[in-house]
Amino acid sequence: MAQSIVPPPARRRVRAPKFALAGPSMIWYVLFFIVPIAFIVVYSFGAKDSSQRIPVDLSSPTFGNYSKAFSATFFTTFKQTIRIAVLATLLTVVIGFPVAYFLAFKVQEKWRAILLALVIVPSFTSFLIRTLAWRIPLSKNGTLSGWLQDWGILSGPIDILETRTAVQIAIVYNYLGFMILPLFVALDRIEGVLREASKDLGANRLATFMRVTLPLAGPGIAAGVLLTFIPMCGDYVTATVLGGAKGNMIGALIDSQFKGAQNWPLGSAIAVLMIGAVLLVLAVGAILVFGTQWILRRRRRVDISSVGARP
Amino acid sequence: MTSRDEQLKILVPHSFRSTLSRRALLQLGAGSAGLTALLAACGSDDKASPSSSSPATSGSTPAGDSILGSFSQVVNKSSGTLAMYTWGDYNDPALVGDLADTDLGITMKVDYYTSNEDLITKLSTANGSSGFDIVVPTGPYVPQMIEKGLLQKFDKSKLPNIVNVDPFYLGQAWDTTNDYSVCKDWGSTGWMWDTTQIDGDIATWTDFMAACTGPASGNCSVLDTGANILGMYCWGNGIDWNTTDPAELDAAEKYLVDEFASNIKAFDSYPSTKIAEGAYALSMAWNGDARQAFVRIADAGGNPDDWKWALGSPETELWMDNYCIPDGAPNPDAAHAWINWLLTPQISIQDLQYHGYNSGMKDMPALIAELAPDLARGDMIFFSDEQVKTMKTQAITEAQDRIADIYNKVKAKAGG
Repeated sequence: MAQSIVPPPARRRVRAPKFALAGPSMIWYVLFFIVPIAFIVVYSFGAKDSSQRIPVDLSSPTFGNYSKAFSATFFTTFKQTIRIAVLATLLTVVIGFPVAYFLAFKVQEKWRAILLALVIVPSFTSFLIRTLAWRIPLSKNGTLSGWLQDWGILSGPIDILETRTAVQIAIVYNYLGFMILPLFVALDRIEGVLREASKDLGANRLATFMRVTLPLAGPGIAAGVLLTFIPMCGDYVTATVLGGAKGNMIGALIDSQFKGAQNWPLGSAIAVLMIGAVLLVLAVGAILVFGTQWILRRRRRVDISSVGARP
Repeated sequence: MTSRDEQLKILVPHSFRSTLSRRALLQLGAGSAGLTALLAACGSDDKASPSSSSPATSGSTPAGDSILGSFSQVVNKSSGTLAMYTWGDYNDPALVGDLADTDLGITMKVDYYTSNEDLITKLSTANGSSGFDIVVPTGPYVPQMIEKGLLQKFDKSKLPNIVNVDPFYLGQAWDTTNDYSVCKDWGSTGWMWDTTQIDGDIATWTDFMAACTGPASGNCSVLDTGANILGMYCWGNGIDWNTTDPAELDAAEKYLVDEFASNIKAFDSYPSTKIAEGAYALSMAWNGDARQAFVRIADAGGNPDDWKWALGSPETELWMDNYCIPDGAPNPDAAHAWINWLLTPQISIQDLQYHGYNSGMKDMPALIAELAPDLARGDMIFFSDEQVKTMKTQAITEAQDRIADIYNKVKAKAGG
């Protein structure tokens, strides 16, 4: 009986390894992210040599740039950058969450696509143009300023450009979409039955939100924070266009070393420090969030070991 | 200040008189004070005068004839696209647009930078493939650009109109034979202020600093270059602008960071637009940009008479920007044709009327009288001998890193 069975011919299929799917993006990142950053890291150990086209002398590597970069100037500017970025991230969550919640749970199906498109519409215009466009209505001698004074809404002219407030408002506006979309995706994936179950088990609306919806939206919030906070820390355009002297951010400091001082090694060292510092801030943030969750879980833990033992 | 007010309205004759006297001195060949001062100010004590023997520069025009007869007016046609990398708002839009197309057959594309270092960084990193055909560096930066091989030599047979440039502005210290560069224009630094917001006169850099830290605190802008902010302090305090003395630089840092920085509203190299928006009450500015500010204030519905301009005093800056062709330029033929075109008197004066800087043509007073008799605010373009004597040229020294360091500290403090 066994002989009668002819084993099927082995099907020879060439199978590419599964990670090949990630190949194109990996090549892209290696070429355009890893390699340039590696150069920055290498340059940060060099010395300035203005006589060369790339003004870096790597013959005697040194840590000197880091001790120079580790200065009061860096910390003052970094502190401001982080303050703007942290506040802006919180604001995008606070402003973006209700919108995402509305889109995921409240709005009729037929309107959803249109409303989502509206969130993306601002990105159709270039970042720079959107930021520059702010200067027109907000200018001190501008038409809007004149109207608001004529109507008695303002007692003096609008005086917001070239301030930190202008950068703060504009940066929230520029990155809001990057917060709303991941939040929407996370909220949209929450099964309605979970929220219904919460209600059936006696939770009121607030408890349902705090203990079911919000924790399930966690990954969306995390993605949104990463997508907004990190680019905000490196934002150069908003601060340069609207900030004046008061909106100075770390991007401008690095830029001034590369372009103004032609001191690429010091600029590189500041850039590396900044990458490290942003990662550190994110790590601290993550520890805070996970720590809070852990404490909450412990406090809310329901001991069910005694339930089954009930006589 | 009354004399300055008077100048603002009838500037042209005043400035002409002063320019004329300088010309007269030059043609007499006298080693007069004015001549020596100008030569020294241009940093060109050792300059050769390559064109001085050329008949075209003799400046002897038969009475009654048009002055233009003594100028070379060759216009070479070219073709293709010409990409220029230059300072903001630095040419009459027609000359980098339609007119270049009609007169030369060239399509222009213009990009802008805000500092010489910016330009050098861009050209260095592109390694000859930046795609630009013309760049406009300031004099002291030309030698390092030549040294790094960022510039190519002119084909002088394609620049016959170079004889139109006043020999004063040729053969500068940074390129004594004009093999790589030719004067685009030169200018200086001062400030303008809103008299409705700030009482009293601002006549010197000391006054400027006092106003910035006093009535204009939080409402003043300074040029976005470390050299000019250091300059403000040095010029006001009688210190050599090009000092490398650590003690002097430390003192400058102490004042600029501890006392001055927190009053700055913005670091702005082209304040004219924002002045018109009403953003500042007092702005450090280059003379041409300040001159445009008066136009822009009027365009925006403001009253230009509320504003006053003053040239930096007791000392201030003299810079000269130069047309150069970068190494690896894709269309050097068009670059030569365009630069040569800009060196014809009509085009040069048309451009001058727009950007407001002295373009260095020979026989300037006569040219202005013939081609631009209605030129407004000429005193902001042409300076007297006495003014030129007070102007200093920047040197690139080993203190560059220290100046950048001070500048970053000022910026960090201003933001904090």
